[in-house]
Amino acid sequence: MDSFLVLALLTPPLVAGALALVLRGTPARVAWFNAVTMPVSLAAAVAIALRLAAGGAPVVVGDTWRLDALSALMALLVAAVATLAASLGPGLDPARHEAPQEIRTFRLWANLFAFTMLVAVSTGNLGVMWVAIEATTVTSALLIPLHRTRASVDASWKYLLIGSVGIALAFTGTVLAYVDYATTGGDVNLALHWTTLRQAATALHPQVARLAFVFLLVGFGTKAGLVPTHTWLPDAHSEAPSSLSAMMSGVLLAVALYAIVRWKAIIDLAIGSSFSDSLLIVVGLATVAVGSLSLLSQTHFKRLLAFSSIEHMGLACFGLALGPLGVFAALLHLTGHALAKSAAFLLSGRVLQRFGSGEISAARGLLATAPHTGVMFAAGIFALGGLPPFGLFLSEILIVRAAWAAGHPVLTGLVLGLLLIAFGSLLVQVHRMLFGDALPGVVRGERASVPLVLLALPVLLLVWLGVSIPVPLQMLLTHATTAVRP
Amino acid sequence: MDATFSRLTMTAASAMLLLALVVLWRRHVAAYITAFRTQSIALAFVGIVVAWYGHVPELFVVGLLILALKGWIVPRLLSGIEARRDGVGELQPLVNTETSLLISGALAVAAYEISRPLAEVMNLPTRGGLPIALALIFVSLFIVVSRREAVAQIVGFLMLENGIALLALLGAYGVPLVVELGVFLDVLLGVLVMQAVVYHIYDTSTE
Repeated sequence: MDSFLVLALLTPPLVAGALALVLRGTPARVAWFNAVTMPVSLAAAVAIALRLAAGGAPVVVGDTWRLDALSALMALLVAAVATLAASLGPGLDPARHEAPQEIRTFRLWANLFAFTMLVAVSTGNLGVMWVAIEATTVTSALLIPLHRTRASVDASWKYLLIGSVGIALAFTGTVLAYVDYATTGGDVNLALHWTTLRQAATALHPQVARLAFVFLLVGFGTKAGLVPTHTWLPDAHSEAPSSLSAMMSGVLLAVALYAIVRWKAIIDLAIGSSFSDSLLIVVGLATVAVGSLSLLSQTHFKRLLAFSSIEHMGLACFGLALGPLGVFAALLHLTGHALAKSAAFLLSGRVLQRFGSGEISAARGLLATAPHTGVMFAAGIFALGGLPPFGLFLSEILIVRAAWAAGHPVLTGLVLGLLLIAFGSLLVQVHRMLFGDALPGVVRGERASVPLVLLALPVLLLVWLGVSIPVPLQMLLTHATTAVRP
Repeated sequence: MDATFSRLTMTAASAMLLLALVVLWRRHVAAYITAFRTQSIALAFVGIVVAWYGHVPELFVVGLLILALKGWIVPRLLSGIEARRDGVGELQPLVNTETSLLISGALAVAAYEISRPLAEVMNLPTRGGLPIALALIFVSLFIVVSRREAVAQIVGFLMLENGIALLALLGAYGVPLVVELGVFLDVLLGVLVMQAVVYHIYDTSTE
């Protein structure tokens, strides 16, 4: 049963990617096949998540695959966003006239990208997890210049270089922890499994563990868009095709934070949590500050969304340092952010197509020209601003409460202030887009269509999350929290 | 026996660090590539020495793979990139040679300081080389941030990877084989994708 679940989770993107390579001359068929196979992956993720939410045993296959509640949550997010991106990506809308080569390139790499993210969260081996996260950079970098411009090629190079170097530093941390474990004389073959490392954690040497964690935080933090190595993110996320931006912003950042959480759980057992907590608080707050203070000055709406991702990752990072309540809130926040940001990026693709420009000032009159897209885009932005009744409001309140409960009154005030700034900036920016007279030449009117219905799903889920957390999700989050922060 | 083991690994590790420093004062991409190739051969040598003296037979395979991948395939790919680069002249680093060497010296000292706890807890005969591995990692990082040309940055990144591989070999006689193979796959795929993106850069800048 376990091997069936893991197989059903991991193979659909691999098969769809391989087909994009093999099937010649029929890009639309490749895209359709992709759109129907990814839901298989999603169904497997839901099955795994439901089992673990009910308190079931982890899904284990061999030595390599191991999904506990935290892995199940992440796999669910990755599969959901990848399914959404697959069913809205290039090749499915005949009205768009995309080049066959572009469709094929997208379907090949986007599927491999989804596959590497799923592997990263499904493996119990931290070495394999590292290999998979490094591979996410490689598989996504070639898609950023899908429409080849100087800016997109430069963004791709910046992403590839900073991402690769950052992730190499994370490998340095991984190797340091491994070296430390090897000196304690444990079984070297299973040494990089988090279950083994957690059992052996008390035997690790504090100074080496500290050094390893710094490397791991800088390394995976680079991939998560944390300050000060976030500089690649605004370029990469805004230049990428929207379906890819949705996956990169919605879940790849969360996968990188997941890696930090996994390692933190080990290092905390070795040296206590105060060291990693204080690092995460400093880095998290700096990231929230950079993200939210940059929002108002953006002139490009995809860059606006990218900076909002930086802000939210900083907030999640901050939450992870605030004890069990904070971890619960941070994981809930990542869930809401995956929904809101993937919807917002996919919608921004529609806005870009309608107005032919990424400038906020050029997208005036969005509500009048494309009412459905406009309303949902506004809902996405409100959700990202932390407005009720959307899910992110609840998780932000929880993070603030956790900060207060953890005895950081000053930091609580600081975070609240930054969140208000972010909210205000987003509101001003979206107001510029929604109203006003559209530039001449922009087509008016919009008919209801399948993509719009699909895009409404994450928005409705966000409302559901904001009203009450569904019981299975709450159980899953609770189990995931106790696994890393008992 | 342990003395020979220790001396051989120390010599090869020092050679690897020196080859990273070579990049700092040479100005031609061909020299960068030669330095990287030689460094990779030294790394393969470390792998084989550890395999022999440390009795880890699978490291023979790893050593040969390093030789094939980083000593031959990757340098060839790099030469391919260099052949496509226009403006074949000298590279213009952001930091001049004297300052570069001074910074690298400081980084090496820092590496010794940082790796002290590591060397204290270890009892392997190879532990003496750990600060060198860490210094190689830092110097390679500096190469990446202080060069402007993509090819030079790739060489810096690859030297960083070599530094980590050296750290793993000296610190724990290598990481588990499945991880090692994954890393090789990532390096190969990474360089291929970097090559593709750099070609895009060259194409768009000439348009």
